[in-house]
Amino acid sequence: MEAYFYSRLLSKTGGNKRMSSSKFQWLSSIIFLYLVNQAHGQSRGVPHDLNCITHNLKVWDCSWEALPTINHGTYEICVINSSYPCIRTEKTHFEIPALTFADHEIKINSIHVSGNSVIKFILNERNVSLVPATLQDFNLTADFSTSTLYLKWNDNGSVFPSHSSVIWEIIVQYKEKMEVATVATLNTTLIGKDSVHHWNWTSDIPLECTPHYVKIRYYIDELHFFGQKEWSEWSPLRNISGPPVKENYEVFPRDKVVPVGSNMTFCCVVGEPVLSAQFGKESYSFIRLDRRSVAIKINNITVSPSSGTNVVFTTKSNLYGTVVFAGYPPDIPRKLNCETRDLKEITCSWNAGRPTGFFGPRGTNYILYERFSGRNVTYGRAEEHMNAIHQLIFQMITGQEIYNFTLEANNPLGRSEAVILVNITQRVCPHTPSKLIAKDINSTAIFLYWHLSGNFANINLLCEIEINATYSGQELRNITVRGLETSSYHVYMDKLMPYTMYTFRVRCSSENFWKWSKWSNEKHYLTTEGIPSKGPDIWREWRADGKSVIIYWKPLSLNEANGKILSYNVSYWSEEKTRYLSEIPDSQHKAEIKLDKNDDSDYIISVVAKNSAGSSPPSKITSMEIPNEDIKVEQIVGIGNGILFHWNYDPNMTCDYVIKWCNSTRSEPCLTDWKKFPANSTGALVEYDNFRSGTRYNFFLYGCKNQKYQLLRSILGYTEELAPSVAPNFTVEDTSSDSILVKWEDIPVEDLRGFLRGYLFYFEKGEKGTSKIQGLESGRSDVKVKNITDITQKTLRIVDLQGKTGYHLLLQAYTGGGIGPGKSMYVVTKENSEGLIIAILIPVAVAIFVGVVTSILCYRKREWIKETFYPDIPNPENSKALQFHKSICEGSSTLKTLEMNPCTPNNVEVVETRSVAPKIEEDTEIKSPVTDGPEEGSDAEPENHVVVSYCPPIIEEEIANAGGEEAGSSSQVIYIDIQSMYQPQAKPEEELENHLVGGAGYKPQMHLPVTSTIENIITADDLEKTAGYRPQTNVNAWNLDSPDSPRSIDSNSEIASFGSPCSINSRQFLIPPKDEESPKSSNGGWSFTNFFQNKPND
Amino acid sequence: LFFVPCLLSLLLEPFTLGVPLSLADPINQAYNLALYMQKNTSVLLQTYLQYQGSPFSDTGFSAPELQLSSLPPAAVPFMLWRGLGDGERLIQTRGAFSALAQHLQLVNDDQADLNPGSSVLLSQLAAARLWAQGLMGNMASVMTVLGVSIPPEVDALGPAPFGASAFERKCRGYVVTREYGHWTDRAVRDMALLKAKYVA
Repeated sequence: MEAYFYSRLLSKTGGNKRMSSSKFQWLSSIIFLYLVNQAHGQSRGVPHDLNCITHNLKVWDCSWEALPTINHGTYEICVINSSYPCIRTEKTHFEIPALTFADHEIKINSIHVSGNSVIKFILNERNVSLVPATLQDFNLTADFSTSTLYLKWNDNGSVFPSHSSVIWEIIVQYKEKMEVATVATLNTTLIGKDSVHHWNWTSDIPLECTPHYVKIRYYIDELHFFGQKEWSEWSPLRNISGPPVKENYEVFPRDKVVPVGSNMTFCCVVGEPVLSAQFGKESYSFIRLDRRSVAIKINNITVSPSSGTNVVFTTKSNLYGTVVFAGYPPDIPRKLNCETRDLKEITCSWNAGRPTGFFGPRGTNYILYERFSGRNVTYGRAEEHMNAIHQLIFQMITGQEIYNFTLEANNPLGRSEAVILVNITQRVCPHTPSKLIAKDINSTAIFLYWHLSGNFANINLLCEIEINATYSGQELRNITVRGLETSSYHVYMDKLMPYTMYTFRVRCSSENFWKWSKWSNEKHYLTTEGIPSKGPDIWREWRADGKSVIIYWKPLSLNEANGKILSYNVSYWSEEKTRYLSEIPDSQHKAEIKLDKNDDSDYIISVVAKNSAGSSPPSKITSMEIPNEDIKVEQIVGIGNGILFHWNYDPNMTCDYVIKWCNSTRSEPCLTDWKKFPANSTGALVEYDNFRSGTRYNFFLYGCKNQKYQLLRSILGYTEELAPSVAPNFTVEDTSSDSILVKWEDIPVEDLRGFLRGYLFYFEKGEKGTSKIQGLESGRSDVKVKNITDITQKTLRIVDLQGKTGYHLLLQAYTGGGIGPGKSMYVVTKENSEGLIIAILIPVAVAIFVGVVTSILCYRKREWIKETFYPDIPNPENSKALQFHKSICEGSSTLKTLEMNPCTPNNVEVVETRSVAPKIEEDTEIKSPVTDGPEEGSDAEPENHVVVSYCPPIIEEEIANAGGEEAGSSSQVIYIDIQSMYQPQAKPEEELENHLVGGAGYKPQMHLPVTSTIENIITADDLEKTAGYRPQTNVNAWNLDSPDSPRSIDSNSEIASFGSPCSINSRQFLIPPKDEESPKSSNGGWSFTNFFQNKPND
Repeated sequence: LFFVPCLLSLLLEPFTLGVPLSLADPINQAYNLALYMQKNTSVLLQTYLQYQGSPFSDTGFSAPELQLSSLPPAAVPFMLWRGLGDGERLIQTRGAFSALAQHLQLVNDDQADLNPGSSVLLSQLAAARLWAQGLMGNMASVMTVLGVSIPPEVDALGPAPFGASAFERKCRGYVVTREYGHWTDRAVRDMALLKAKYVA
């Protein structure tokens, strides 16, 4: 019994419920046989291994093993001490009702030919196994479209006590090799009556591809049964096969719609060998399912094209295939918006969101459902919008303002939805207004009509009207109008301008603004004419003869005219009379009135503009001006595009200011245009399109007092000055040997093109035809220029010229705008014959005079001379030779030849005071850049401080030998006169050399004042000419020896003979008229050199 | 769509003029239309394949093994074709275009489901169907002049097409557009033969 309980425990608590029942039976039989044999001690050959099971806890089914020797016998089975009758049977099993919990003795009497044998078994419930009956009847169906198996069976629960737990085990097998596809376990509870249970399973292989087999068994765990509980036998295999394959082949699944990312198996059922398999563009290796079927497994399927993804199996003779559609379930509709355009129907629009990848019958369907009314609208594909914006139209329900919409999207893979709750009166986006019409009220107001379809009776509309006019720009007006059922609206539009072409357009919204409608088409409309808003701008001018006055006016601007001006009415009146001129058409903007300026009576002139609507207010002006004697003509230059005027504020000016102008060259009356400025203004910029640069205008500034104008200023002006366009016309009035008088004429105003600022006069010495003066190269030292800033000057005398010399002349005028062209001329100065005569006569006279005086002296001192130079008995002790320098023959070279003593240098300082060279009057001053330096040097040394260093006895000999040697040896007599003060101290030797070469002229024996200006402008050519006259034979010696010889040489090497007397004294002839300006005439020595100057440099 | 007016003239003339008096006109019209159709058949086939996905859209795709039992094949032994009488030849070709016109309508419907966005393909299929019907009319005119009785049109499709899978429909469309080309080629030769025989 201990072993029995052990085995029972095993069967009850063991985890392996699939343990074979035969195993238990075998074990229990061994135990049972052991017990019986031990109890009764019977021998072999009788029934043994009694085994009892129950299928339903109500009947025990017992069976035993019997020896062959008792075959074909009869058994009598009796339950000892029981009311159950004995059973006689020829089989080796019997059924008895389930016995009570106690032990029961079973006696089996074997009756056969050889004799009877009785054997007894002790039977207890614990020795009985509960083995549920095999499930024979269950229903297996399949959904091929989803490859799903459906299993349905009855648990036969009415047989068993309720609340028993049942464990069901189902096995699905497929393919040729009967592979286990799945093993499923279900737990149920018995409820005391029959219950139907369901189980389904989806195969990863289409059911059509290969048969699927199903079997089931179960285990009842009845707690109150103490016997063994065992699994039922497996049910018989049931299989599901696909429908008969058409045309002997087929590929599965067909036209499947799956989500992107799915894993799928496709199979091909075909009688011939499959060579290849292809999914889309990719080839796949296939697996064999059974004899006729192969498959490919696709993982993570991507989205398909519109016509699906093809799965193709190829055989030797054909190709077979199917199509799969992979996509997405519908996205949640985005941006769901419901609004109305006419309060009649609601338009709900949305964006589909992520594309599903499905088209046509697999595409997304939408249903718009309104919860309050319970109505819905289905999305028709015909309404599909191309750019993924979808919309549905829902007819509004009378009286309902709040709508709760649910939009549901669905496709073969799923569904989604979006909701929106709207108050439709706040979601009004009206249609585009149309049929815009305008109708006159007056010149500044109209009615504007338009059509707006819809039923807006319950709301107010906010409409915006855009008003465009050419001259007044754009204006927007918002108005609120009561909504109508009739769709015809109109508004009153005022504050318009008369006779103006307007463009109107309208858009509307609800008062609870949601969206504007589109703008309506534009409506162009011309408002009617109104009377001109102001009179024309007028001015009057008297004719020169004072016999009539011309009244001018300007056309009114469009916004002042308020219509088409037809004519003007001009009238004038004085205290005595009023007169009217005949009507003047619009094309004319002036009128002449016969009045006498000398008549004392002042008239008021009035001009009125008229259009079809009426007359403008009159513009008035008095005929007479307030006289103003204090008028000066001023000049003004503009700022390019106009001219800026300034005037002082005058409180007396009560009306306005007027600036009128005209071209100064035009004839009277002077009026090109005028402008008026307010009375409180103090300046104005006058701009005028026709202002031309270089044209002179006359401007007149008038002020207005008590409606009467007074001329305040008269101004000549240019908007921009230009250089003169012509050269001044000049002539040579007079020429002399050293001067030229030129005279020029005024340039006409038209050619002047600016205010004249002065003239530039150029002249240069040169041969005819060789002038470079036209180039006017700056810095040319030989071109002299004279700036004449006195514009009233019309003549110019050029002095200090050389006689019989050609000069190029050029005259230019200049204005603020620049220098104009020049006129050139070539002039030759006259020959200086008087000076030549004097230059010859005076030296001759002087020479005679000196000879006479010398003779007289020699005669009177003959004794002394004899004693000194030719004594009868020479006495060296009494020699006076050393005193010769004090004699009147001082400077004579012949005397010095007797000097025997070595040189003892001595210095003699000569201090000479003289006045500065007189300054030339500015107008006649000849400016040359070269002259500046020496003049300054002269100014720096007002007192001539001359140091004379000499060595009288021996210098003659040295110089005679020296020839071209440097004169700077230690024994040299250095004579520095006034001229040396001007020479550059850095080049004494060079200057001396130059002097030797070209400066061999006559050297005055007196100290001469020199005008540096003249010295410096000597040219090399002049030098050669001046070297021509040589009164002494030994020129070189004379020049070098003479202590009087001027040694100043200009630093300019070209002017090598600067120190010559020619240059010194020529200055005196150039300025002869004023003796007091002559340089140092008091010295007396200068006049000699003048006579030798036949071609003086200026 | 520049060809539409030209096409209309080709299609309408046989009907508007009634029975032509001479043989040359209907033969020329049928020949010209067949010639015109011939220029567009390859475009139709390529356009069709392009929309069906791989392997149909693969370069060089060809599946001669695919056939439709409801559509007579154009292929015929040359001598057999040459030996046919004019009337029999015309009857065969006209019958084929009758079937083609029905199949083209079917293919058009199929593609409206599979490729609803392919307006180019759908319009080409519709045009091909129109041309097929036009050619039938032209050939009927020739047959009338030749005295050949025109057999009544038969339903080539039957109820079978409705259960076809997407793949079957794609294949069906392929066969139809392919055979449309073949039959057009054959019609051109048919007409050329008649032209050589009856039109100087």
